[in-house]
Formats: sequence, C-alpha cells, structure tokens
Amino acid sequence: MPISAEQARALKVGDTVLIDGDIVVSAGLPTYHRIAEYVREGRELPIDLTHGVLFHLGSYSRETPQGDLEVLYINPTTSTRFNPLMPGIIRGLGLHAVGGKGGLDAACAEAMQEAGCVYLSFPGGGSALLSEALRGVRQVAWPELLTHYRLVKLRVEGLGPATVGIDAHGNSVYDDLKAGSQERLQAIFTELDQDRAASAQASSNI
Amino acid sequence: MAITYEAVKNLTAQLYDWSLRKVPDDAQHALRGLLSSERNETARKTLTFMLASSDAAERGNRFVCSDSGVPVYLMRIGTAARLEGPIKQAFTDGFAELVARIEPPLLDHVTNPLTLQRGHSGRHMPLVTYELIDDADYVEITCSPKALGSGRWAALEIFSFPTLDVIERYVLEVVMKAGSQPCPPVVIGVGIGGSFDYAAKMAKQATLRPVGQAHAEPMVAAMEQRLLAAVNKTGFGPMGTGGDATSMAVHVDYASGHGFTPVAVCFNCWINRRTSARIYNDGRVERID
Repeated sequence: MPISAEQARALKVGDTVLIDGDIVVSAGLPTYHRIAEYVREGRELPIDLTHGVLFHLGSYSRETPQGDLEVLYINPTTSTRFNPLMPGIIRGLGLHAVGGKGGLDAACAEAMQEAGCVYLSFPGGGSALLSEALRGVRQVAWPELLTHYRLVKLRVEGLGPATVGIDAHGNSVYDDLKAGSQERLQAIFTELDQDRAASAQASSNI
Repeated sequence: MAITYEAVKNLTAQLYDWSLRKVPDDAQHALRGLLSSERNETARKTLTFMLASSDAAERGNRFVCSDSGVPVYLMRIGTAARLEGPIKQAFTDGFAELVARIEPPLLDHVTNPLTLQRGHSGRHMPLVTYELIDDADYVEITCSPKALGSGRWAALEIFSFPTLDVIERYVLEVVMKAGSQPCPPVVIGVGIGGSFDYAAKMAKQATLRPVGQAHAEPMVAAMEQRLLAAVNKTGFGPMGTGGDATSMAVHVDYASGHGFTPVAVCFNCWINRRTSARIYNDGRVERID
C-alpha cells in the first residue's frame, strides 16, 4: 500500500493478498459518520485518505513511557455496519482498497467499481497472527474517541492473508453466495425432508 | 469451609482471561476435521490460517480476537454447596479487577443500549445466569464472552403447534439471514419450546456443549445431524467467502411447553470461546474444559 486503481482492478474475487505499507483503520461507527460528514462538506481529514486505503479494523494503541505510540493488537470488525456510509466515502475519497469482515452491500460494490477499489476480507478472530504484521503507528487522529474508534495510520508488513471479497469490477462473493444459497434453498429443504423421513422410518423399525 | 466471595471473584476473572487466549480443543479439533473435507481452496487457506492463529495465540499468550466481547457467565450451583459472602458482587468486582490489570488491555465494549456510551462496566454487567445442580458440593462457572460479530444474528420466532419441518426451515432461514457475517464456521444453538425466555436460554446453553457431543435423545441427535448437513450445503464457508464449512456443529435442545412453540437460534463464531471450572466446598478449583 498505497495501491493504484489499476492495481486494484487487476485483482479478482477469491484472490488472496498480503499487505505491506501504510494502512488507515478504524472500527467506530461514529468515526465513519464523521468521515462521511467531512467528505460531504469537503473538509480536510486529519489523515489524508485521498486515493488511499481504509479498513474496518479495530486496534489498541497507547502511549509508551518514551512518549511514542505503540499498537498492541488489531482485528477486523463487521463491515456491513458501515454499508450506508461507505458509498459516499469511497467515491468522495477515491479509495482503492477497503476491508474488514463480512463484506459490503451492492451499493458499495457499485461505488467501488467507479473508484477502482477492492474489498479485502480479513479473518475474524485472527488477531494473534494479523498483529504480527504490525510495524508501527504512523499517525493517530481524533484521540478524544475510544481507542478502537480513532482514525489510525499503521505501518504493516505481510498483513493477511486477506481475501478479495468484492473486486473493482462489481463482482461480490457475498452477493454471489447469497444468491447461490437462495437458489439452492428449495433443494436443501427437500433433502432435509428426505433425511427426516428416513430418520423417522429408521426409528420406527427399532 | 465454604465457597467464598474471594474465590468466585478470582475464578470468574481468570475464566474470562483464559477464554480470550485459547480456542478450545474441541473447536480446534472440529476445524481440523472441516479442513480435511473442505473442497474450496480459499476456504482451506482460511481454515489453515484460523488454526495457525489460534496456535499463535495460545503459544504467545495473546488474544485470539481483539473483540473481547462482554463477560457472560453461567453459574450452576450445587444444592450441597455452601456459599459465603456477596457472590453476585464477586462477578462485578472480578471483572473490574481484571480490566484494571489485564495485559494487553481490553477495549471498551460494554455498551449502554440507550445512550450507546461504551466503557468497561454497566447495568447488569457481567451478564450472569444462575441454575441449580441437585446434591453437588460445588459451583460450576462457565464464561462465554459474547461480541457483536456472531451475537447480532441470533433470532427467535414463536410458532403455534409447528411440525418439525416448520422448525427446521426456520433454523435455515436464520442461517441464511446471517449468511457470511457471523465468522463461520459457526456453532449453532437451537432452543425449541418452553417459553420465550426459556427457549433463548436453551439455545445459548446448547452452544456451550462440547463440539462432537450429540444430544442424548436419538431423535434430537438425528435432527442435529441433518440440520448440520443442510447448513453446510448453503456454501457461505469459512469467513463467509465461500466453501463447505459454514458450521462445525448444530446443537439442539428442547423443553415441553404449551402449543405455542418458541424456536430460538443463536451462533458462536469459529473461536467458540468458553471456559469452565468448579469450586468445591473445600476451596479446590478444577478446570473442566
């Protein structure tokens, strides 16, 4: 990271990537409301996110005795919470990568297609290994917010593996899986009925 | 001797701490089983990462997930147990002491639902359910921290004299709604019957049952098996990016009730975190997970 629109467009749903460089993270709904508001009003964010990356990752950062900031651990949070806010943020800032866990909706995927942006899925509950990629805190903004709500720029090396869940061409594994499972649902119900009937038959034979 | 405030305070804090740093053995075993049969390459990578990360957490004494959730306990009290002191307060004080000393520190997750203010304490926190065990000379405490990731997808609906197919279809509907979200492969708890509150309690407690242990009644065990097979045909897969392994177990329990039948469905994410221990009247502490 940084990543260009061309690089983002070269990625396809299902690809796995490791991330090196600087990333910006926050897990706070109030934070994303604030970012969306700044973008709407054309105000400058305290951390420049233009054509940048913004991940739904929580982090614990604190001041060291030497006065530096250290980050102790990171982990993804549920991205769908931010669905209503992300299209405006993605378009307004021209983001090239977003991410977290659980995916984003079709309106976000559309904004991502316009901006040349991918969604990266990080493994939830993978804090121990994901945190090994941390190389330092570059910047912390909005310190008045809760630790994991702050806007934090982190230096990482080998962060991941992250899976491309939504690519920059409008393909979303989440929409595909939802549609696919919905299509299969009647067949799944039929097999469930058959299993139940077989089980009832077996127990009546005892 | 007796089971004291001090013993309960110390143990409840320890149980919470332990639960954050290790994926229970039964869940790890289940993940390895799912990995061996998974057909999707991305899913196999994700499952392999999950196992490696849980191993790294355990070896390095680190948090499995940064979201430590909120403290949730089940305390089962033996009717021959002798309790001494303000045991309810021991849960609150144990959590407060843990928050003050735990390294790395916990994020502020305890949320006031009316103001959305977050911190490390709040009304009715920790959330504790009490039950009785006839004749036992101990208390058994289980800690199962709960966070939004899987917690928000639980659901309950009340039916009138439903047949089994209606109940099972509803379970699948809840699974479909949760989709990619609850950090699969999940443990699914299903509580059927009783009353509104009792069904929810059964569903929650069903998620605590060891993975691989079927319900004692063959009819229910068969239902668990076919529901698990059905869920794993949906295709959401590990972390919801596609694959066979959407669930590692479906645990069902039921209670008799009236003709109105609540069906409650809830989820534990793949780390399936929970720890349990007993304190005996003589002060002995025994881990049982």
